[in-house]
Amino acid sequence: MIGQIGRIVSTVILVAVSFVVTSLVLWVSGYSVTDVLSGTVQGALTATGAFTSTIRWAIPLFLIALGVMVAFRAGFFNIGGQGQFYVGACAALAMALWWRTGPALLVIAVSVVAAAAAGAAWSLIPGWLRVRFGTDEVLTTLMMSFIGTLLLQYLTGGPMRNPEGTGTTASTERIPDAFRLTDSSGVSFRLLAIVAVTAVVIWLLMERTRFGLSVELAGRNPLMARWQGLNVSRVGLAAFAVSGGLAGFAGAMEVFGPAGRLVTGFSPTVGFDAIVVVMVGLLSVSGMALSAVFFGGLQAAILFLPIVTDVPPPALVFLNGMVALLVTARFRSRRRRSAPESVAPEPEAGEQEA
Amino acid sequence: MTDAPSSAGAVRCRGVSVSFGPVRALRDVSLELEAGRIHALVGQNGAGKTTLGRALAGLQAPDSGRVWVADREIPGGNVRAAAAAGLAMVHQHFSLPPSFTVAEALELTAARPGGTAVYRRSDLEKRWREYVADLDGSPALSSRIRELPLEVRQSLEIVRALASRASVLLLDEPTALLTPSAIDALFERLRGLRDEGVTVLVVLHKLREVEAVADTVTVLRDGQLVFGPAEMAETDLGRLSDAIVGAADHRAEAVQMDEGVSRPGGDVVHLELENVSTPDSEMEVGLNEINLRVAAEEIVGVAGVEGNGQRSLVSAIAGLTGLTTGEIRFGGADAAQDSPARRRQRGLRLVPFDRHTEGVSSSAPLWLNQSVRRLVGRRRARHPLISVRNFREASKAALDRWRVRYQSVAQPAGSLSGGNIQRLILSRELADGAELVVAAQPTRGLDFAATGFVRESLSGLRDIGAGVLLVSSDLDELFELSDRLVVMLGGRIAAEFHPPYDRRAVGDAMTGAVR
Repeated sequence: MIGQIGRIVSTVILVAVSFVVTSLVLWVSGYSVTDVLSGTVQGALTATGAFTSTIRWAIPLFLIALGVMVAFRAGFFNIGGQGQFYVGACAALAMALWWRTGPALLVIAVSVVAAAAAGAAWSLIPGWLRVRFGTDEVLTTLMMSFIGTLLLQYLTGGPMRNPEGTGTTASTERIPDAFRLTDSSGVSFRLLAIVAVTAVVIWLLMERTRFGLSVELAGRNPLMARWQGLNVSRVGLAAFAVSGGLAGFAGAMEVFGPAGRLVTGFSPTVGFDAIVVVMVGLLSVSGMALSAVFFGGLQAAILFLPIVTDVPPPALVFLNGMVALLVTARFRSRRRRSAPESVAPEPEAGEQEA
Repeated sequence: MTDAPSSAGAVRCRGVSVSFGPVRALRDVSLELEAGRIHALVGQNGAGKTTLGRALAGLQAPDSGRVWVADREIPGGNVRAAAAAGLAMVHQHFSLPPSFTVAEALELTAARPGGTAVYRRSDLEKRWREYVADLDGSPALSSRIRELPLEVRQSLEIVRALASRASVLLLDEPTALLTPSAIDALFERLRGLRDEGVTVLVVLHKLREVEAVADTVTVLRDGQLVFGPAEMAETDLGRLSDAIVGAADHRAEAVQMDEGVSRPGGDVVHLELENVSTPDSEMEVGLNEINLRVAAEEIVGVAGVEGNGQRSLVSAIAGLTGLTTGEIRFGGADAAQDSPARRRQRGLRLVPFDRHTEGVSSSAPLWLNQSVRRLVGRRRARHPLISVRNFREASKAALDRWRVRYQSVAQPAGSLSGGNIQRLILSRELADGAELVVAAQPTRGLDFAATGFVRESLSGLRDIGAGVLLVSSDLDELFELSDRLVVMLGGRIAAEFHPPYDRRAVGDAMTGAVR
């Protein structure tokens, strides 16, 4: 209990330090720190529609973060949320456009399943390589993420391109309005209810099912889990699937929510920001909800800031990166210190070197 | 043991003691090794052989005591001073980087003067050609270390050690990974070095090997020097094996050594292995046509120097390694295709070798560690959700029953002492439905009280009808508990004994000594 409070306090301190460092940089660069801070607060909270915008950006962050958390508990770094998010969005959009005359509820349901399946498939490839050959999943999930990004570019610029599009960036047709869960603000009661239900389901899955506890054990000490007869590979694969599935699901929510179509390179950092959300949220569902709102607010402020000040938006991206750096450093150092547990999770067959 | 350094002693130490926490690895060891000879250092696992080697090489600062190499005193834990005095050590685990070429690896790791920051491969190869020229496998200098056979890598380790013109060579269990013919070649090389005037101290496990190569032999037991250094020619192998296992209290002199069929202790045969072989693993040899039965109401002890297939045996029974040949049956029914989880459901319980890494997850809470068995295997669940409170309460009851000392079931298992971790494991493994218990080193490192507790638990389980396979390197424990005792050597069952046990005969079987 004390440990948990200590972790929360240190996280808050790290975020505060990030604010101070960012302010210093702005001050040294000759900008008005108070202007930037007030702009940030306005952009995230007080300006008209600001809080809605905050929540709009928090939703995909939170959903992807839930998936990252599941993989993390199983002992894996799934940092390919971005690509899984994109392929999920593509699958959902393709399904919705292909069956545009169908009954809304059914089309949405089928599309969501397709999106989750696409995301899961995208993360199962590195997942299988990991449990079968011990390939480092940090590399493979990241590489798969690039492929997902390029796939989105190809689809939006090629087969799925809207021929009547007039914008400067390639995009697809819009899905019928009947399928939309929100207006372009990206927030509605329906969507919030879906997100809340998802969060509860994932919490129950991880904390109150045999699967969740197995993931926990296999992630903490795969050697012990194997001695206990747990099928560590299967548990790991399932965790990868759930992880990618949630990112794919987030992609579907983006399509049926604020976006309504796909634009090449939309939300280009959401999958990576979600990893920071997980670490700031200390791997707990409620903590991640709070940190998703915080980072959603930053995102909203980044978009708002150019309207009220002449501070370049990258100043807040800098803040975002600062938090990520400090929290990751703290996280890694804690993993190091508890190293005795991290027995090399060797691949299945411990064949000899030839 | 005079105070004046004698010129004959290439390596000497006096009163060396080393402790690791509460464990006293070396106690007051004094030793003098004559120059230009091959000295063998033997003893069971944990006897302190490696620690002594490290203390002599300056890798381990002794708590007390002094070390001399070639009459130069080595300040405690000063590896450079030891090397400067002419001592080099070849470690049990290979130290040459696998991805380097032979020449690069030697250049990097050999303590040899010269060399530049920028190099050409051809220059390096020229520099090292003479060193590897007389090796048997004579490897190409441009081949990668990882592509070489184990024995060649071993030879290169020696080349590396000797490159600095060392006059004293320490080898820590150099034969552990080698095939018999490679061992012969290694010994030949050691003899050659001796004839060139190098003093060799080699840590060995098997008496056969000691006999083959050593000029003198020294025995460590429980961190103390109990025998030698004695001239090998004048040493009786029997006395040597007594010294290794501790023959102070021979319980009985009667020899009952038969290799025939075993006598089942009850009607039910919980475990049968028939002609079981498994592949070699990275850690040790695989099984080689093992036949073994464990019946109801029976404790079968497995003795043997560590690394002779005990791990492979337990892994094969647990289902963690597949069999290459042979059959495994639980309660008379085939179990070869059963998953590890299924085997547990059929009544198999395991107390693993290393309780901290294989027995528990040290960062997970006690209740989760205690309830793992409820997570494993197919089970008809009426409700998809579990009650954590139920898990916690059940594990609390079990921990209390097994008298584990803890504050809260939420505390991580790693915060418990070794004895309490073992109690936790027993509370999980032995509680219900245990038919066949495989206990590997169940009392290693435990204090007196915890040891007694574990032993009582195992014999209690036997008395209510379970079969127990007890793998241990503690002969006293095996003699006290076992209804039968088998000895493993090189992945085979070398011999079987029945009580009353003859410590000397068991010791001979363990070390492969023939008298």
